[in-house]
Amino acid sequence: MSRGIRPPRQRARASDRGALASALLERGVYGAAIVAVLVFILWPTLAVVWESVLSDEGLTLQRYAGLFSENAGLLWNSIWIATAATVLSVALGLVVALYMRHSKGIRGKVVFGTMLLTMISPPFVSALSYVMLFGRRGLITYDLLRLNVNPYGWHGVLLMQMVGFTPLAALLIYGVTTGMDPRLEQASLDLGASSFRTFLKVTLPLARPGIVAAGLITFVRSLSDFGTPIIIGGNFTVLATEAYLNVIALYDMGTAAAMGTLLLLPALVAFVIYRRTMRDSSMYGTPAEDAGYPARLPRTMRVLIALLTWVFVIFVMVKYGTIVSGSFTKTWGVDFSFSLRHWEGLNGSAIESFWRSIRYSLVAGVGGSFLGLLLAYVIERRRFPGRRAVEFVAMLPFLIPGPFFGIGYAIAFRQYPLALTGTAAIVVLNAMFRQIPVSAKAGAAVLSQADPILEDASADLGASRMRTLVRVVWPQLKPAFLVSFINTFTATMTTIGAIIFLISPSAKVATVVMFGAIRSGHIGEGTVFATLMIVVVLAVNLGFSWLFLRRSGTSRTKGVGYVSSLEALDQGV
Amino acid sequence: MKTGQRWLSLFLAVLLVMSMSVLTACSASDKEAADNPDIEGETTETAQTADLVVPEELVGTTINIFSAYGGQEEIFSTFTEDTGIKVEYLDMSSGEVLARLRAEKGDSVGEVWFGGGVDSFIAAKEDGLIEPYVSPFSDAVPAEFKDAEGYWTGVSLVTVCFVVNEEVAQEKGLDIPQTWEDITSPAYKGEIAMSNPAISGTAYTILTGILQSMGEDAGWEFFAKIDNNIPFYSERGGEPPQKAALGEAIVGLAPGTGEDLKAEGYPVVAVFPKDGTPWWPSPVAILSNAENLGGAKVFVDWCLSPHGQEVLRDNDPRLPVRSDVEPPQALIDAGIMEADLQTIDFELMGQVRDDVVAKWEADFGSKK
Repeated sequence: MSRGIRPPRQRARASDRGALASALLERGVYGAAIVAVLVFILWPTLAVVWESVLSDEGLTLQRYAGLFSENAGLLWNSIWIATAATVLSVALGLVVALYMRHSKGIRGKVVFGTMLLTMISPPFVSALSYVMLFGRRGLITYDLLRLNVNPYGWHGVLLMQMVGFTPLAALLIYGVTTGMDPRLEQASLDLGASSFRTFLKVTLPLARPGIVAAGLITFVRSLSDFGTPIIIGGNFTVLATEAYLNVIALYDMGTAAAMGTLLLLPALVAFVIYRRTMRDSSMYGTPAEDAGYPARLPRTMRVLIALLTWVFVIFVMVKYGTIVSGSFTKTWGVDFSFSLRHWEGLNGSAIESFWRSIRYSLVAGVGGSFLGLLLAYVIERRRFPGRRAVEFVAMLPFLIPGPFFGIGYAIAFRQYPLALTGTAAIVVLNAMFRQIPVSAKAGAAVLSQADPILEDASADLGASRMRTLVRVVWPQLKPAFLVSFINTFTATMTTIGAIIFLISPSAKVATVVMFGAIRSGHIGEGTVFATLMIVVVLAVNLGFSWLFLRRSGTSRTKGVGYVSSLEALDQGV
Repeated sequence: MKTGQRWLSLFLAVLLVMSMSVLTACSASDKEAADNPDIEGETTETAQTADLVVPEELVGTTINIFSAYGGQEEIFSTFTEDTGIKVEYLDMSSGEVLARLRAEKGDSVGEVWFGGGVDSFIAAKEDGLIEPYVSPFSDAVPAEFKDAEGYWTGVSLVTVCFVVNEEVAQEKGLDIPQTWEDITSPAYKGEIAMSNPAISGTAYTILTGILQSMGEDAGWEFFAKIDNNIPFYSERGGEPPQKAALGEAIVGLAPGTGEDLKAEGYPVVAVFPKDGTPWWPSPVAILSNAENLGGAKVFVDWCLSPHGQEVLRDNDPRLPVRSDVEPPQALIDAGIMEADLQTIDFELMGQVRDDVVAKWEADFGSKK
């Protein structure tokens, strides 16, 4: 545990009262973060699980009898599709992250922008374009290749999940690689290791926190994804889908909640593996201002990485391009001529719903990122009893299928002391806490790879803990903040599953209006909304990254944050 | 005989309530009128033809609606023009509405539930999530289209039909199917799109229609033949016609004739199966503890009034529940007049739902 010799703390005595106040404030902030997790994640979750042990006569465990044996097949489907999706997404995510790390100039920016845009793709957008392109009458499969293929089945689920989950994995890994010390790789090369060996023995271990964080997030997300299997799975079903059907179709919340708890098993296993791996990775770098560029990769690898990255980027661009062109097409599949008629249908209330979506998403994005990173810091750096439990609870929102998280909020915040039914707050809080897992894991990945020696140094030099948090820790977390904001913003803009149970008819958001259009058969109108959403998400995310990265004065190749944290130390002492 | 008696007493009760409201309206103070914002000045005789009267104090108020109805935007804006009562609505499937109402335990932001499957409304009635209201216009609605105690009232009849992609059918050398028997032919293998009876009211009604008209055993046997041609079941009732439009299937079993898809230019035609057309009444109901109860009642009245029925029909081509309102041209063109509407026992349909869905799940569903 000891990291070097600590000089005696002389300065701290100078103002004991100030130090006490600062320590109290620090504790208060951490306490508030933990209480928030318990109130807005644990409580609504328990409210749903509670339904599974309630019956007309009182408490019962009946729904759990035979639960495992009856659903073993579905659970197995869930586990293997989640495992496959995780392996594929993380591998591809790593490839894309490496490409972004190594390519300078416009190409890297284009790939980065594409990942930002597609980090969250609402399942129906994917499904719509998937069917438009690869369906039995799809543009590519039928009109170009004259094939008559069946796009429905597990392969469709796997492909769509992979395409959907890869961008977030890529950004999480990339966030970690920006903080890596390239001199370690340089040293390895100087000592005579081949570039491939350096990659395997130095670069990969350094990136490991990002890789396992991305793996955990992807795995859990896939476990709880009911939408993709419903849309494209055909006869292939997973546990989350079946649980969802129990709510919507059989009106049996209790059984649904019981089925949902089955998903805890694989998630716990994944969580333990994640913890083990994170504990072992303590290879810190101490990059200085002039750290240089990352070591070049072996030639064949470079080519392969570039190839895979661009195939992927082009694929997602085609996917989004399909939606955009769909909005300018008279009737997709029948009459491909240019038309503005879908756009002319936009009216005032639709535009208003867009503004509301943007407002909600900004609040959720900023609030959720601060909270998530604070949690990451508390969990990674402070020792307190039950912190692993808090960490697991903070993962729950990704483990619970969206509608359950919404229904949990509707039940939990129905009455005193927190009567939020029908308010904007319940919608924003729900969207924000739903993305806490990404915010917390993005922070944890960056922190676990940043050397705590800086924090120790700051403390030893007499800075209060609060001051250390603001001046030393926060700057290091900036790349994680960016990933987390973009994720939460985009997710809130595109969410639907949970909030349909919470929003008030008088405060509709854009996704609800869009879903209504698609549901009633106005596919063209649906693509107009999707296009607008793509434009908003891209503009805000790019604008935010630009502002953020420019203001913190970092470049993509330097260790983000370290420079400013060093400066902060200088000034603070 | 028994139903007839109940009917008569209900009718008399309505008459009583209405004459009382007339009395209070004549004599009462402003305050009492506000407490009793029923439609004024109605008698049963004029209810068939009378125009809707909206109490002054309701003008400018707002009602919140959970809704699943075609052309709802236009329907609601016409309602606002007619009555001065504003509408905010949320597009939700019946299953979603029911799950939400249960979570909110009768303390919902919504006031009216408009459109969807009857079975959800029956379940909501059992759980005490909706309020009884017998509209003065309700007696023009035949008994089989509404709840006997007034918990919900049908506003239109949804009729199931085949939405067929002519172009693909022609390409594959297939005739446009006219009967359920037709679509059991192996020629349609993989070409029939149907939604999931566990989720979609449309699909459950189709299944019910087959089971009730053929009898349990023969019905399941017949359904197995259709199932052979269905590659998989989609989630929502609205998806099969879209799949047919996009050529993903030749026949979509749909809750309506797909007029929107035709208007978009997709090469689809609608056919009512000649050997029995399943149907169900699409209800409206007032939610428990509705804040603007008066406004909610006006909405129900409006939906059932002759004018409201015309507005509904013109924005979503379904059969009106009132016999004095003409059916929509689109349905006439698709042959609704010649169609043989099945006799469906909705009470029974609701009772056996869990068993039927469970059997379907076991034999044909995802657990296959």
